[in-house]
Amino acid sequence: MTLLELNTLIRNTLQDAFPSTLWVVAEISEMKVNRSGHCYLELVEKDEATDELTARARATIWSYTFRMVRSYFETTTGQPLGEGIKILAQVSVDYHPSYGLSLNIKDIDPTYTLGDLSRKRREIIRRLEEAGVFHMNRELPLPLVPQRIAVISSATAAGYQDFADQLGRNAYGFHFEHRLFEAFMQGSEAVPSILAALDAIFREEEAFDAVAILRGGGSQADLSCFDHFDLAYAVAQFPLPVVTGIGHEKDETIVDLVAHTRQKTPTAVAEFFIAGLLRFSERLEELERSVVAATREILEAREEELEGATFRLRGAFERHTRLAESRLRRGGQRLLTGSSRLLYREKQELHRQRFRLSAATSGITGEERHRTKQAERELRHAIRRLLGKEESTLGHLSSQFRRRIRQKLADNRRILDHAAQTARMLDPGEILRRGFTLTRQNGKTLRSAATADPHSPLTTLFADGTTQSQIIKTTLYDHPETLLPGGHE
Amino acid sequence: MTTRKPSYQEAMNEIEELLAKIESDEPDIDDLAEKVRRVATLIRFCRDKLTKTSEEVEKILGEMETEETN
Repeated sequence: MTLLELNTLIRNTLQDAFPSTLWVVAEISEMKVNRSGHCYLELVEKDEATDELTARARATIWSYTFRMVRSYFETTTGQPLGEGIKILAQVSVDYHPSYGLSLNIKDIDPTYTLGDLSRKRREIIRRLEEAGVFHMNRELPLPLVPQRIAVISSATAAGYQDFADQLGRNAYGFHFEHRLFEAFMQGSEAVPSILAALDAIFREEEAFDAVAILRGGGSQADLSCFDHFDLAYAVAQFPLPVVTGIGHEKDETIVDLVAHTRQKTPTAVAEFFIAGLLRFSERLEELERSVVAATREILEAREEELEGATFRLRGAFERHTRLAESRLRRGGQRLLTGSSRLLYREKQELHRQRFRLSAATSGITGEERHRTKQAERELRHAIRRLLGKEESTLGHLSSQFRRRIRQKLADNRRILDHAAQTARMLDPGEILRRGFTLTRQNGKTLRSAATADPHSPLTTLFADGTTQSQIIKTTLYDHPETLLPGGHE
Repeated sequence: MTTRKPSYQEAMNEIEELLAKIESDEPDIDDLAEKVRRVATLIRFCRDKLTKTSEEVEKILGEMETEETN
């Protein structure tokens, strides 16, 4: 048997064994499309636990089928048909004597892939939750003012341009610092390049407030990298809040789920940051208003206090002034009543006249001049009257004084007359003339019989002369006080 | 950064602290003026930082001056 005979036998046997198509589950490990639009794939199956290859087969999708199958698959799953995708494919087992075994894919059921993807997603989410990182980024506080933003995107992506324009043109004039960390946003290079960008940002963590992961909008292309466990793990654990704007309307990717904030488009991410600054700016305004209001309140309260104090002071001052005035007035009245009524009246009159005079002189007309003259006359008359009365008062006072002095002189004379009479009665000559005598012995006046020297002569003085005599007998009275001198002789 | 300027958070904390003091206590007028002035400075600082006007303008002016002297 020749090899061809053998291979032909194998082909016939296989055709007999697999007369119709079969539905096979497999993962695409390689995929190529040639110029004529035919698709060549390698299908594999891996051990779930060890990830080791357990089966492998080549497969083809002819161009006509491929065009239809691919577009249906991609619109249904939102995933590109490509490497790493698990598919449920309707295949016929073909064997070609010179090319060997190949599976020809007639159809692909995208619902299987969807189920598989969501299962995988759930699996990744479960792993992230088990690692305790799933909520980590979301739990980071967003900085008060997210002003410095590290952007992960591709420089040429329309989404990145939208983002930069939106930030730069914000209506409030807020200034943003943003720096691009370039990465592939799809394809097999996406996950490692985004991880590298995150790493670069991490080294300058202090320079940024937040990270934005942006992908140009529009077409439903490859988002599978954002469902990648490693990337989701890195984003979840990133120390800065990550905001995504991956630009798709369908299911959120796992990176969206673990990110701090998910926005649909890069423009929305820019708006999100602007809103953050606006919120802060409004808070500032509010604080400013509060401070102004509180300050104004205090100032007004102080002003009121001051006004109140001023008012009270003025009141007190006015009361004091009134009191002092009334005292003065009372004092003045007492003073006036105390002084001569006449003088007071005259003074009043004088004042009145003077007032009239001045009033009269201020506006000079003939009649007024006449009145002035009359006033002058009245004034002169008043003065004269006043002077006359004062003179008469003075005259009255002086006559009274003269009368008093005269009376005093008369009194004095009476006292003197009396004194002269008394003096006369006590004159020794007079006494002698009235019969009394004065007895002297040895040149001294004798005042007691007991002291008389019986042997010396006595000289008796009379009013008109003296006599000499000798003591014959001396008799002393028992009660000398009973006899008055010069009594009965 | 050579001279450390306060962060937004620090500025806000200080503003709110001052406001609380102004609202609760009754500072005397001198003290009040001081506090209000400080708040105004902090708010201006935050606003300038939001728009980067003063810093940027100063930088540009500085560049113009060095160009003129050269």
